[in-house]
Amino acid sequence: MVGELTWSRRLVGLWLPLTLLFVFALFPFAWMAATSLKANAELYDPTANPLWIRHPSLVHYIDLFKETNFVVWIGNTMLVATVSTVISLLLGVMLAYPLARMRFPAAGLLAITVAVTYLVPQTLLFVPMADLINRMKLGDTLTAVMLTYPTLLVPFCAWLLIGYFKTVPKELEEAALIDGASRWRAMTRVILPLCTPGFLSAGIFAFTLAQNEFLYALLFLNTSTIRTVPVGVTGELIRGDAFYWGQLMAAAFLGSLPVVLIYSFFVKYYVAGLTAGSVKG
Amino acid sequence: MSTNPVLEAARPATRAVPAGRPFRLREWLEREAVFSWLMLTPPLLFLLAFLGYPFCYGVYLSFVKRPVAQPATFVGLGNFVNLWNDAIFWQAVWNTFRFTAAATVLKLVGGLGMALVMHQNFKLKGMTRALLLLPFIVPTVLSTVAWQWIFDPGMGMFNRLLMFFDLVKQNQGPSWLGNPTLAMVSVILVNTWRGLPFFGITILAGLQTIPDELMESATIDGAGTWARFRYVTLPLLMPVIFIVTTFSIIFTFFDFQLVYVLTGGGPANATHLMATYAYSVGMSSGQLGMGSAAALAMVPVLGVVLLMMSSYVRRA
Amino acid sequence: MARYHGFEGSTSRRDFLKLAAAGAASASAGATWRPRKADAKPAQITFMRESSYVKEFDEHFKNVLIPRYQAETGIKIVYEIIAAGGSAVPRTVAIVESKAPVDAGWVQQEWLYREGLLDVSDIAKDVGKQQGGWYSEIEGLSVWEGKWRSVPFGNIGQCMVYRRDWFDQAGITAFPDTWEEFLEAGTKLKKAGHPYGMSMGHGFADNNSWLLPLLWGFGGQVVAKDGKTITLDSAETARAVDYVRKLYKDACLDDCVGWLDPANNKAFLTSQISCTNNAMSILISAKRDLPDMGKVTDHAPNPKGPKGRFHSFVPVTHGIFSHTPDPAAAKHFLRWLMDPKQVAAWYRSAQMYHAPFLHAYDKDEEWNKEPRFKPYQKVLETGKLVSWPAPADRRAGEVVNKWIVIDMFAKACTGTPTKTVIADGVAGLKQIYG
Repeated sequence: MVGELTWSRRLVGLWLPLTLLFVFALFPFAWMAATSLKANAELYDPTANPLWIRHPSLVHYIDLFKETNFVVWIGNTMLVATVSTVISLLLGVMLAYPLARMRFPAAGLLAITVAVTYLVPQTLLFVPMADLINRMKLGDTLTAVMLTYPTLLVPFCAWLLIGYFKTVPKELEEAALIDGASRWRAMTRVILPLCTPGFLSAGIFAFTLAQNEFLYALLFLNTSTIRTVPVGVTGELIRGDAFYWGQLMAAAFLGSLPVVLIYSFFVKYYVAGLTAGSVKG
Repeated sequence: MSTNPVLEAARPATRAVPAGRPFRLREWLEREAVFSWLMLTPPLLFLLAFLGYPFCYGVYLSFVKRPVAQPATFVGLGNFVNLWNDAIFWQAVWNTFRFTAAATVLKLVGGLGMALVMHQNFKLKGMTRALLLLPFIVPTVLSTVAWQWIFDPGMGMFNRLLMFFDLVKQNQGPSWLGNPTLAMVSVILVNTWRGLPFFGITILAGLQTIPDELMESATIDGAGTWARFRYVTLPLLMPVIFIVTTFSIIFTFFDFQLVYVLTGGGPANATHLMATYAYSVGMSSGQLGMGSAAALAMVPVLGVVLLMMSSYVRRA
Repeated sequence: MARYHGFEGSTSRRDFLKLAAAGAASASAGATWRPRKADAKPAQITFMRESSYVKEFDEHFKNVLIPRYQAETGIKIVYEIIAAGGSAVPRTVAIVESKAPVDAGWVQQEWLYREGLLDVSDIAKDVGKQQGGWYSEIEGLSVWEGKWRSVPFGNIGQCMVYRRDWFDQAGITAFPDTWEEFLEAGTKLKKAGHPYGMSMGHGFADNNSWLLPLLWGFGGQVVAKDGKTITLDSAETARAVDYVRKLYKDACLDDCVGWLDPANNKAFLTSQISCTNNAMSILISAKRDLPDMGKVTDHAPNPKGPKGRFHSFVPVTHGIFSHTPDPAAAKHFLRWLMDPKQVAAWYRSAQMYHAPFLHAYDKDEEWNKEPRFKPYQKVLETGKLVSWPAPADRRAGEVVNKWIVIDMFAKACTGTPTKTVIADGVAGLKQIYG
């Protein structure tokens, strides 16, 4: 790729910074993992090492599965996050593509309107949103959050995609049009495939935000079996001022590992897609 | 590689369409304006229903006195006047600025570094990239619970490290969430930790779209690593950097969960942000009108920040 | 029906239902008391509560009470539990505002939305009569404009929780009786490496539960009894502020000025502090996870000041949201729940950590099972609502939720002069009381 690197340059340029990044990004997970595997007596022991486990125990994991609806919450979260990501990406493309690559009347006004939607704080919306959900009789259904999450995500997906769409040279599209392709075909066959990293980036962003979301899920979902992970876990494992630390950390861990696996697959694919589709003149 | 497989794939298909046949609907659809508006209508309708309506309702609320479960009385700008006179509000504004500025700069610099490091060939690239995304993936409410322990004065990893190297004595370590200044540093640190991977991965995606040929020809022209970065990479990355930074400013500006779980805005409002303030007024204290006004007050403030930023970027 | 302020529009229908229900209330449980079509399916009632730190309490409700009610009436109860602190009040506010499908529950901070609650005077009066009468202080919360808007349940008592072994080692054989002695003892203990940890952050209970009693004990008051006059700026308040600053410096762990409610549990259980103000949850956790610490942990009432001994309530009351589609059914359930046949065992399932506001349980045998819990029963005698002496209204709630009084003390601890912090506190109060 970028020239030949000697061993020492590779150490300074890659392994050292990579190690630092790993330590910074992952040390809280080391603590979380350790805590989820410790019995409470060891967690509270002031002489114990926070990262070392003397008596590993799966008790928190067992309790998490036995005493809570954790599996259901994971399922709900994945479902909600997937649906709202798909909705957001679809609507995002439809919004971003013309704004990035087309000239049409009122484009400037529209761009400003969309820009304003980025600035609407969630704290302003939750009472009106609760009202809207109630009017649509969607209270206590997963549909409620599937429809409200995209309001947080669409503007940002569109925005990210505008950036990626703009990086593709206009000549590519023109060449396709001259070759007789329709605009639709030029978009779906030429431009969009080139923007795969953009989709993955926006998708990862949307999916992560959706599975992370707390406020709307708290306000719109009651029943334990239709909650998402953040609300379900805090509702049943934060009891008054007594936190079930071990189970909370087990939940955090188990909840994020599947996502990491999915992402690692996508990130690989996205690298492959890039080498195949990047702009080689 | 001299040909683009995607273009190759597209071309034969497009040739199959007979050119020049008079087909009105298609011509009409091919007009830029028509095509654009057909694409734009569904998302705009969605946003109008689910964002436009609540937004207008929220704006209306900010002009009324509206305690929970009670009818509204119009107060004009009364809520905003109240905010203007509230010292806690101004402290929250100032805190929000400091928080957003510091966290964004840290994430930008760190994220650029992370992207450059990861834009190299090494084993287990995919897994590494995904693992580094972990801070961004774990639900904030849960990771913040872990940070409560990491910042613990006696049991936390920071103070344990300091004690291990004999830098502080038992029970004398810094109070990460109790000291007003350190509490702000701590919430900035957690926000940076959580947001950095997103910067990294987004900028990395931008890096990948830069054609290798450009780098190669720059190298042939005798440009060093720094020159290549400064004159080739950075300008081409600017759109992505601009977008991701603006993003981060908005999300950091509105950040709520992290501070709410970690400090609740304390000690003595040292970490109170505009979002946590609006929440404590609107939701916890049940003054829906005042709460909406406090939330709405964020919009122009943030708008000004973003305008300043975009004009700066355009000049640069 | 002016008290509904006409904001729901279906007042007359509800009143009709209420009348119908009242007429049938004496009839025994069954299909007759509910005005519904013959072919209607049995209703479902959603009951919401904050998750309890004594798990057995929620389990008793789910495993005993729900099936029993379903067996008796055919009505299914959905039990929704949510996390304490940041979640419970906003969730309730959202329920009231959006008329979400929740019928009844723990109406935390009901002073914010009493207009959205049904009149439950009949139930509250009957339950009081039947079970020894209510503690009168709680009426200040549940009764509003002459009507009971909620049925009191119990108080989650807040007391001093301390390590008896460390107090003994420092030569303090009895828990300090006055705030001055408390400071002296703390100074000794901190020197011995066992500081106090008194929460002063933006939490929801552990901060108010000692700072307000301390302020009152020194003779300070936030707002006068009339609910209008701001009385915070006084020599008594200044003395209380100076005291807390000194207590923080000489006796406390630095970190406690920023603590939320779980933080003192964590610090106590990890042996970092010798004393804090908390509910029973610390001892319950210690007995379960750290038996050695469980043996040496004890409780004591708050120390007294020149003006006496005070505690502050963390009251639990149950109410019915006025948007419930079937008020009669919800009322029937609440009445059934508060019947001694149900409620007594429910109280006991949680080791009485909701100290009942009913005098019938003052000497309940459950209190003898763990004598160390007894101070929490005594809290009812000296306990006041956090608004005291002002009425527990919306504005008092705002003072609490904006941490006006807490921040006054916290700022003093982080170095701001007494005069300034009191002036800031008064300015904050003026925002609210206008």
